[in-house]
Amino acid sequence: MEQAPRGSERQLQPAPLEPLGHPDSGLQAAVGEEAEGARDEGPGEDTMTENNFWLKKIEISVSEAEKRTGRNAMNMQETYTAYLIETRSVEHTDGQSVLTDSLWRRYSEFELLRNYLLVYYPHIVVPPLPEKRAEFVWHKLSADNMDPDFVERRRIGLENFLLRVASHPILCRDKIFYLFLTQEGNWKETVNETGFQLKADSRLKALNATFRVKNPDKRFTELKHYSDELQSVISHLLRVRARVADRLYGVYKVHGNYGRVFSEWSAIEKEMGDGLQSAGHHMDVYASSIDDILEDEEHYADQLKEYLFYAEALRAVCRKHELMQYDLEMAAQDLASKKQQCEELATGTVRTFSLKGMTTKLFGQETPEQREARIKVLEEQINEGEQQLKSKNLEGREFVKNAWADIERFKEQKNHDLKEALISYAVMQISMCKKGIQVWTNAKECFSKM
Amino acid sequence: MSGGPPKGLPSTGPHSLLDMPHPLAGSSSEEAVGGDSTPSPDLLMARSFGDKDLILPNGGTPAGTSSPASSSSLLNRLQLDDDIDGETRDLFVTVDDPKKHVCTMETYITYRITTKSTRVEFDLPEYSVRRRYQDFDWLRNKLEESQPTHLIPPLPEKFVVKGVVDRFSEEFVETRRKALDKFLKRITDHPVLSFNEHFNVFLTAKDLTAYKKQGMALLTRVGESVKHVTGGYKLRSRPLEFAAIGDYLDTFALKLGTIDRIAQRIIKEEIEYLVELREYGPVYSTWSALEGELAEPLEGVSACIGNCSTALEELTDDMTEDFLPVLREYILYSDSMKSVLKKRDQVQAEYEAKLEAVALRKEDRPKVPADVERCQDRMECFNADLKADLERWQGNKRQDFRQLLMGMADKNIQYYEKCLMAWESIIPLLQEKQEAK
Repeated sequence: MEQAPRGSERQLQPAPLEPLGHPDSGLQAAVGEEAEGARDEGPGEDTMTENNFWLKKIEISVSEAEKRTGRNAMNMQETYTAYLIETRSVEHTDGQSVLTDSLWRRYSEFELLRNYLLVYYPHIVVPPLPEKRAEFVWHKLSADNMDPDFVERRRIGLENFLLRVASHPILCRDKIFYLFLTQEGNWKETVNETGFQLKADSRLKALNATFRVKNPDKRFTELKHYSDELQSVISHLLRVRARVADRLYGVYKVHGNYGRVFSEWSAIEKEMGDGLQSAGHHMDVYASSIDDILEDEEHYADQLKEYLFYAEALRAVCRKHELMQYDLEMAAQDLASKKQQCEELATGTVRTFSLKGMTTKLFGQETPEQREARIKVLEEQINEGEQQLKSKNLEGREFVKNAWADIERFKEQKNHDLKEALISYAVMQISMCKKGIQVWTNAKECFSKM
Repeated sequence: MSGGPPKGLPSTGPHSLLDMPHPLAGSSSEEAVGGDSTPSPDLLMARSFGDKDLILPNGGTPAGTSSPASSSSLLNRLQLDDDIDGETRDLFVTVDDPKKHVCTMETYITYRITTKSTRVEFDLPEYSVRRRYQDFDWLRNKLEESQPTHLIPPLPEKFVVKGVVDRFSEEFVETRRKALDKFLKRITDHPVLSFNEHFNVFLTAKDLTAYKKQGMALLTRVGESVKHVTGGYKLRSRPLEFAAIGDYLDTFALKLGTIDRIAQRIIKEEIEYLVELREYGPVYSTWSALEGELAEPLEGVSACIGNCSTALEELTDDMTEDFLPVLREYILYSDSMKSVLKKRDQVQAEYEAKLEAVALRKEDRPKVPADVERCQDRMECFNADLKADLERWQGNKRQDFRQLLMGMADKNIQYYEKCLMAWESIIPLLQEKQEAK
């Protein structure tokens, strides 16, 4: 479990978990080899001992979605969708899978899980959830959360989220995550008991740090800049793509009108009639083909959306670094000023303005004993401060090291995934072109028989 | 190629009136068949038409060798239509080489008309003249006047209503050129119209303006007579075939109108799609600038979308320039055909009315007044001409539409093939470094 001792801020430390092993999705290729990779534990952490559990593969799937009604916190009736999560363990020898766990969760519980992970793994680029509300819709798509197509795409997105977490070398070993998959009742209470909400950095603090930090690691600054740009460009892309889909839909559908008019026209023709009629049929086929084409393209849009939201996760890691760095800078500044005060007291020179200096002037010099006492206090504080600074420094360096390792892992993943997405998009376009050629060739043949 | 009249044309030299059977005696002139059958009374009209009106300003004379306007023999000639298209072609007309002329008063475009012919009606084997749209318009009016019993092909629209279209843009001029070329070719292919003197003058005269000034003088007898058919007679019963063609043309024009609207709508949607694509492609470029390993793939996708955009633009241009004008032409065609049909109705109505008046008079039965005879001649001539033209029109229409629609399908196929090639070519680029990893 990745954490550094930080004084009294963290009261509870989640128990070391039972490792889940290399998760293997039924739908995606195993990425288990990543578990061998950067599995940097923090200082003071016991290295996980390998045991037989690592060798068990598991499959996770969000297999169903169901509409439910229940009572919310204010005892009002509400409708929501629940998702069935099934976990299977795959026997190593014969590849057969056995259902080990199955439970229902709703979207808000996924959110809770993710928020917990964000707090406890601030150096990890935490996989994003699918969007809460439908955005970037083109006119045919419904923006309604209850719409079956939206629910279906969300189901896939939630499954993807779980698979991402399960295939992450560090996140997969979290106990809360494990319980999310296995313990239906009481899970919410368990999460809340970790007190993670209290540990979350306040947004105000984070914003303040972002503005005032003096020496953040340059790589993080660049990364933050990159994630801002990435977010902007993918949003733009998704918006235009939705408009493109809209227009393409229009083009195809209008061709359907040819079907009707050709049919009507063929009724008054003698020799031309058959050719016209059958060509009209092909125009109908053409017009209706767009629905499937655009449905497939939504999958591509969803892949882009995931990385749009990943940009936010990247930024969160950068913010954390800035916060820690700012904290460090403040502590160093504080220490420096205390040292200076001490020095001034020892030598008697007053170089900086201080309340003591003022009161001394007003009320007279203090006694040597008083001065000694004060120096002592300061020296103690300075000692403590130096210890804290040392540990903060260490903490900061550890954070940077671990975060950067995960960022590198993320970069590889991103490049791989997006390339795959582009390839599948190109394949979709090729298929669409081939269908178009087919239909128009058929129509041309009908016309030739006119 | 023979320099004489088209093959199969029965001798149409001058005949004495005595040789011709009485119009009201027995045989219906419409059924006159065979090249050697006794020439029908229509010939009376035809010959006077031929004698008077084929005096060509450039000096040629028709002599007695051919008076092509024998309408009854048109029925014979119909069977030999295929021959005309095949080896016996003796008249070729082409419209090309548009040029802009800038004068003080106006700017306009002229087109070069090249004529090659072995017909005796032409002094020289080859002619090359320059004509502007006005001249075509004049020609068409003249043809309508002088050959009212025939279907005259339509001209492209005079004015472009869409407002923003540039009369002198390359696309517009080219579209118009094609339509004018089609117009002349249709006349060329017509066994009667192609021998019309106005057409001849149009193709050959150095100074068309002088000829135009002669105006009304050369109106044909038939033209005159049909022109003066009084309206207001009620038609008793329309012959089945003309009734059918009338209904057909109504529906036909409607359907074409619908297709025109659909085609316009499609082009509009495609253009809007194009606008979005032109924004879409470059976003991938912008993204590519942020990335390292993904830079090339993203740039590749951007270029690919750019290629598809270009292909789409070509498609919309083609449809606008080649597809829509031909549709519009046929709508104009069926409009002008409707008015010819109406004229025919009037001619028939007048004849029937006059005939009835005679029948009611109960005078000396056998003698039929000359003007009733003339009416009948007129009607039968009209019917024969029209029927022949309608059949020809149906054949041409079928061919034209087959070509038009196949062309539309072709353009779409080419568009998709261009896009397919673009996307297929970047697959290796996208997959490239995957292996290298």
